[in-house]
Amino acid sequence: MAHIAPEIFNGLILGAFYAVVAIGLSLIMNLTGTINMAHGSFMTLAGYLAFAMVSAGTSYWFALFAAPILALIVGVLLERTLIRPLYRRDPVYSLLLTFGLSLIAEETYRLIWGDNGVPFSPPLALQGAVSLGFTYFPTYRLFIAGVLLVIIVLLVLFLQRTRLGLRLRAAVQDNEMIAALGTNTQLLYMMNFGLGILLAGVAGVLASGMLGLNAQTGNALLMPAFVTVIVGGMGSVFGAVAGGMLIGLTISIVTLYIPAASEIAMYVLMAVILLVRPRGLFGEEGIFG
Amino acid sequence: MIMSNRAGLIAGLVLLIALLFMPQIASHIGLAISVCTEVLLYAIAAMAVNLLLGYTGVLPFGNAAFFGLGAYGAGLTIEYLHVGFITSIVLGMAAALVGAVLIGPFLLRRRGIYFALLMIAFGQVFYFIAYRFTDITGGEDGMNFARPAIEGLGVVLKDQQFYYAMLVVFALVVIGFLLLVRSPFGRTLVAIKENEVRARYLGLNTDRFIFVALLISAIMEGLAGACFGLSIMFAYPLMLDWHNSGNIVLMTILGGSGTLFGPFIGAVIFVVGQEILSTHWIWWQIPLGALFVACVLGFPKGILGTALDLFSKRRGGFAFEARELVHGTKLSEREIIP
Amino acid sequence: MSEALFEASGIVKHFGGVRAVENVSLQVPAGSIQAIIGPNGAGKSTLFNALSGFYYPDSGRVSFKGVDITRAPAYRRIAMGLGRTFQTSSIFPNLSVYDNLLVGVQSAENLAFRFRPVRANKRKEIDAKVERLLNFVNLMTSARRPVSELAHGSQRLCEIAMSLSTDPTLVMLDEPMAGLAHAETARIVEVIHKLHDELGLTVLFVEHNMRVVLSLAQRIMVLDRGKVLAEGTPAEISNNASVREAYIGKEVIENV
Repeated sequence: MAHIAPEIFNGLILGAFYAVVAIGLSLIMNLTGTINMAHGSFMTLAGYLAFAMVSAGTSYWFALFAAPILALIVGVLLERTLIRPLYRRDPVYSLLLTFGLSLIAEETYRLIWGDNGVPFSPPLALQGAVSLGFTYFPTYRLFIAGVLLVIIVLLVLFLQRTRLGLRLRAAVQDNEMIAALGTNTQLLYMMNFGLGILLAGVAGVLASGMLGLNAQTGNALLMPAFVTVIVGGMGSVFGAVAGGMLIGLTISIVTLYIPAASEIAMYVLMAVILLVRPRGLFGEEGIFG
Repeated sequence: MIMSNRAGLIAGLVLLIALLFMPQIASHIGLAISVCTEVLLYAIAAMAVNLLLGYTGVLPFGNAAFFGLGAYGAGLTIEYLHVGFITSIVLGMAAALVGAVLIGPFLLRRRGIYFALLMIAFGQVFYFIAYRFTDITGGEDGMNFARPAIEGLGVVLKDQQFYYAMLVVFALVVIGFLLLVRSPFGRTLVAIKENEVRARYLGLNTDRFIFVALLISAIMEGLAGACFGLSIMFAYPLMLDWHNSGNIVLMTILGGSGTLFGPFIGAVIFVVGQEILSTHWIWWQIPLGALFVACVLGFPKGILGTALDLFSKRRGGFAFEARELVHGTKLSEREIIP
Repeated sequence: MSEALFEASGIVKHFGGVRAVENVSLQVPAGSIQAIIGPNGAGKSTLFNALSGFYYPDSGRVSFKGVDITRAPAYRRIAMGLGRTFQTSSIFPNLSVYDNLLVGVQSAENLAFRFRPVRANKRKEIDAKVERLLNFVNLMTSARRPVSELAHGSQRLCEIAMSLSTDPTLVMLDEPMAGLAHAETARIVEVIHKLHDELGLTVLFVEHNMRVVLSLAQRIMVLDRGKVLAEGTPAEISNNASVREAYIGKEVIENV
């Protein structure tokens, strides 16, 4: 059992990534019906911004903090100008728009930073490994695990305990009603989108140190995040966490035994879960009211 | 919804004649004949998407999986079973059909973005299969295969002949599509797009119709993909990827979703545009992405859609604009209950 | 007592904390015209939706012609002989009036799932059916116009005709007068009379307009806050003190 313990831990960390990205995607999808195909590009953006900052001399910690915020600003600007006009229209438009944005983004990254990616290693303090008793584990990964865990907890607290979180959840249920009650829905949409991008940004910076930073870094996390949303159930944060963990573990363990089937295993898992629970593990009924 | 019969017939004939001379026109602008073939085949792929998007009103975003299944179906059967030209195409279409039968049931009762999400996700399985099973499919590098001879004739089509063969295929697909959308089945699809709840309250099991529409769409994609594979004599995983799906959906919207010739126009612009852009700029994906953005924000009804709107007094516009009209029953965004 | 054509017992429907419908039961005998009324928020629409399959009740039983349809999908109820209209006319906006009716007729003839064109003599039969429907609601002159171009009253008539296109036995009308001008209301009332008198259909409708209800319905059920407040003939209901009380302060009763 001990020899797959690192894989289990790796799987949980991957799962935490998928969960954080999935929550971001989910927030945007549930409130506005926008499938953000550019979500991966925002992750990569944060990664590259962090790299640029560190290359310019700032500390890693500063970059970890500032890059997601910058990505958030870019995201909110795009939301206000390009995405907002599409809320009232058929979702195919926002799907195509975000897709187009992802094409522009990825090519721009390649233009600026080259085709082969850039080296983005975590700071010395986070390098090396830590003894966990039965095995050694990379310090950086432990750090990631910690940060992601804190984020998830903060997020759940935010959504369940704060007024803004309550408004967001209420708006997902019935945004006409929320508007009638006086909430500025446009502002809400913007903040919601921003939150989603912020989560993506953090995931992007962290992932860059672990998976390497190139134009496709974000996209590698995107598909599993979609699967996480489906498995966990649309509209459920808890589902995203549970689903993410499940998928992370599945991929990790399958990679150990049959590397070629690692992604396919995640889809098989998705299919099985959908057969048993068509709405996902914690999905809610689709019709609103 | 469809142009008057006479106007349509004339447009069709004009188009046919133009296509007969497309190779000559293309070489004048410095385009290879394979580009012309690509236009025709992606036009078929876009028509397949149009069936679902413009006529049935569902949001398909994973159709490239069927396109790729067609290509790999043809390629694999040629490589390992040594089948002939027509058989490889038929088997490619069969592979696409099998793919649709496998994932279709998971899409039943789902609508809106959930339908799209599931289709994107399931579509990617085939991408990963092609990518990972390197021994069989050649993996990331794809698989090369030779263009087989036509059964019974023993002739291998050369590129120019291949184009004209594809033109025949294209013409047949257009005629078939026209017959389909004019049939009672096709009319019912349009009704479903207009107001699915009302369709159900007229006794129609809309899931069944949507499933069959998905199967037909998949077969068309498979046909396009198989022929495209035979055209370039190559099948590669990115054919199956959601990026390719996005391209095909864009072609449909760009030309005009819900119209007969819109997808063709979109395919011409996209394929030719991509060809020209990529030979001149390495960073051609940027103007391509900009095209997506411009189309979506600027002329969502597409070229043909906007043109037809100008020429006739069309109420409410085509395609899924109709969805936005208040028709009384609040449509679920994820699931259909009644 | 013969079994009612349409029967519901113990219908309960909650939405989260909102108890929209609480233990409502009703029987609709064949050939009757029955109305469900009540002040705003009484749960009429919810009940109607739960009865017609727009969603399913949390508990309770709905049966039609003796068959349990509680969780039957809408399209199956229609096939069994139910028809329904909606508060905001649920039609095919971009299609002509003719095509709107054609969809239902085609569906009833089991031709919807057909890839070959319909044969000429069958086509004539179908055209005749559509024309009969058009004449019934007097929309023959607008037959080829897109239905979204028509006035609300005509759209409502088209929708009623659509609900007839599948040869129903029972027609459920959800606030057929909603949003209509006074003149248009008269046409609808006339058509509802015809549904019952000429076609022998059973009619169950929800309505706010009390004058229409009292003149049309043979039996009335009053809902208030999700529960049945009273049931009876129009005379009984209009003399019922608690019914009047439920309405006063909640809304203005027209012409009662």
